Amino acid sequence: MALFNTLERRTQLIGISFVTPTFLIIALILIYPVLQSFVLSVGQSSMDGYEPYQFVGFKHYIALMSDDRFWNSLSVTLLFTAISIPLELMLGIGLALLMNETFRGKGLARLAVLFPWALPTALNALIWRWMYNADYGLFNAVGLESGLIDAPLNWLGDETLALLSMVVVSIWKTSSFMALIILAGLQSIPRDLFEAGRMDGMTRWQEFRQITLPLLKGSIMVALIIRSMDALRTFELPFSLTDGGPDSATETLSLYAYKVIFEFVEFNAGAAIVVVQFAVIFALSLLYIFMLKEKD
Amino acid sequence: MKIIKKGTIAIAMVSTMLLSNIVLAESLVLSIGSRGYGAAVGSALKSFEASNPGIKVEWLKISDVPSESRKLYVTSLMARSPTPDVFAVDVIWPGEFAQRRWISPINDDFTKEEMAQFNPSFLEAATVDGKVYGVPLYVDGTQFFYRSDLLEKYQLPVPKTWEEVISSSQTILAGENNPDLVGFVSMWAKIEGLFMNWLSFTYGNGSTFFDEEGKVNVNSPEAIVATQTMVDMIYKHKIAPKSILNMRPDDARTLFQQGRSVFLMVQDFAYSPLSADDSPVNGKFDFTRNPYFSEHPNAPATAMGGFLLAVNANTKHREAAVKLLKFMTSYESQLSAAVNSSKSPGLMNVYDDEAMKDSKVIQQLGKSYAAGLVRPSARAGGVYPKVSEVMQIAVTSALHQSKTVEQALNQAQTSIEKLLAK
Repeated sequence: MALFNTLERRTQLIGISFVTPTFLIIALILIYPVLQSFVLSVGQSSMDGYEPYQFVGFKHYIALMSDDRFWNSLSVTLLFTAISIPLELMLGIGLALLMNETFRGKGLARLAVLFPWALPTALNALIWRWMYNADYGLFNAVGLESGLIDAPLNWLGDETLALLSMVVVSIWKTSSFMALIILAGLQSIPRDLFEAGRMDGMTRWQEFRQITLPLLKGSIMVALIIRSMDALRTFELPFSLTDGGPDSATETLSLYAYKVIFEFVEFNAGAAIVVVQFAVIFALSLLYIFMLKEKD
Repeated sequence: MKIIKKGTIAIAMVSTMLLSNIVLAESLVLSIGSRGYGAAVGSALKSFEASNPGIKVEWLKISDVPSESRKLYVTSLMARSPTPDVFAVDVIWPGEFAQRRWISPINDDFTKEEMAQFNPSFLEAATVDGKVYGVPLYVDGTQFFYRSDLLEKYQLPVPKTWEEVISSSQTILAGENNPDLVGFVSMWAKIEGLFMNWLSFTYGNGSTFFDEEGKVNVNSPEAIVATQTMVDMIYKHKIAPKSILNMRPDDARTLFQQGRSVFLMVQDFAYSPLSADDSPVNGKFDFTRNPYFSEHPNAPATAMGGFLLAVNANTKHREAAVKLLKFMTSYESQLSAAVNSSKSPGLMNVYDDEAMKDSKVIQQLGKSYAAGLVRPSARAGGVYPKVSEVMQIAVTSALHQSKTVEQALNQAQTSIEKLLAK
């Protein structure tokens, strides 16, 4: 094989040998579990091996179709994502624009903005749970004291309020993440574009609409993809803040899958939920990626 | 040569260490909550190790919240982990754990006479197909705490019935006119404790989970009335705050301890923080058995909880594990836990010990357990967590008024019939 010795071939081989370890690791920690979940979801077995694996087809998926709690958790997840992501994005852009300005104490401000993002979600949720507490929480104390509310609000006990409370924690925590990515995008916009715009007599708003925003699209898309995937997988937040309550008003897909697996010890049914969740996230990611490609 | 020599010495050292470990000590892991049985465990382990020099015991301090320790157990037992060797199981677990082959039967390790000494309803909860899978360690249950100072101030008797609870609350709330004070709090978040509460209310009105023929009976007329009373306590009588719907045991206890509730219904554990020296209600409260409805005087209404000890089916030291289990559940250990930490013993004859006569708390707890009810876990087995969840969802939707009581309980009835038919 003379071909083997050509330079082109060799470069290719070097490339493959660099990629292989990464690919193997990804296959091990990413592709294998996904396949394994799918295999679990179309079978009946017990994880401890007392019951051998039996193929049952789409039985667990069909059961999901008539499971109200599954549909509820799916709509909670989508609703949570649909409300929190746009708000996080708007706030994130605002924060990024602010942080991009030069002012005194800029470093400190950047640090402060990043602080919520640095705290673990579970810890955040516990802090907020105390602040939301209807009987001795901070919000009701301040609200009652200042006369904003007449009676204590049951933040985490009311179905609508609980979901909104969860959205607020999420926005508080992750807007700064959006801001960080968008700030990086902002800083890559050449200054002279703005100078040129100013010479042509552009207002600040026109500048934002016609220079900043179009050039930020790439970073906005990246931030959106990462955050949407995150939001669709939300687990620690409802787990520590509300445990899915009241009733199942804040029970996300991840939390429901977790309960099916670890409380009811039904690994196969739980795997089916996880696979559906994977499909939803995958479809959304594809959509984003196509949108990103079109813009290019 | 030098290298070989060094290597030999190292190997010799390592193997001696390993051997000495095998010969000298068997190590066991005992998993039990640090708050529930706390002080009693430490001292019991010390005397166990002193009398069994060949056995070392590591105390795995797990959470005292059963739903949390359960998660830990499920993951390690699912993986057939040999540890913990001996572990505390909530009274509602043995049926399920035995069915999943996670714990091993221990009836052959006890004589019939020894077994007969243990709390019978607890043994029943641990019996699957005629084999016993756990030994009672301590008993607890829902207790009804009340503010004795407030009842005295308004010259009200200690309430025996829910009707009295409601009217006394209203009298006191009207008299105190304090916006921060409520009448009744309990654990009505969507947790196992809510199911316990619901059982207390419905049994107190003469209903039972299964009827005499063994059929599911959750939508009986008595159960509907009792559940409606729970709803009315929030919206009609306004003695319970809406926030009761997201209270867990400790949230309710905190409110009562701050002096902001007249009545409290949670498990025994509340007694010790409430009576602590720095507790605002220290000396101003007492407790009694759970109330019943006036038409069903003395109906059992204490939802029983508590823990048994069980042996891991995959333990590598079964003999030592059984020894430890026997020691922890022995007369002496249970007596010392009762005297020192006010834990109600799982051995019945301990209550009659001379040393127990002066323990007012244990005597009162004993009276509550005499009116005890056991959750339907032994019969539900592996589907118990689902049965409980169905009830939690049904009662929650009634309490949130998203369904009428009748709708909610009818749906629960159908779902549970389906679950148990499988």
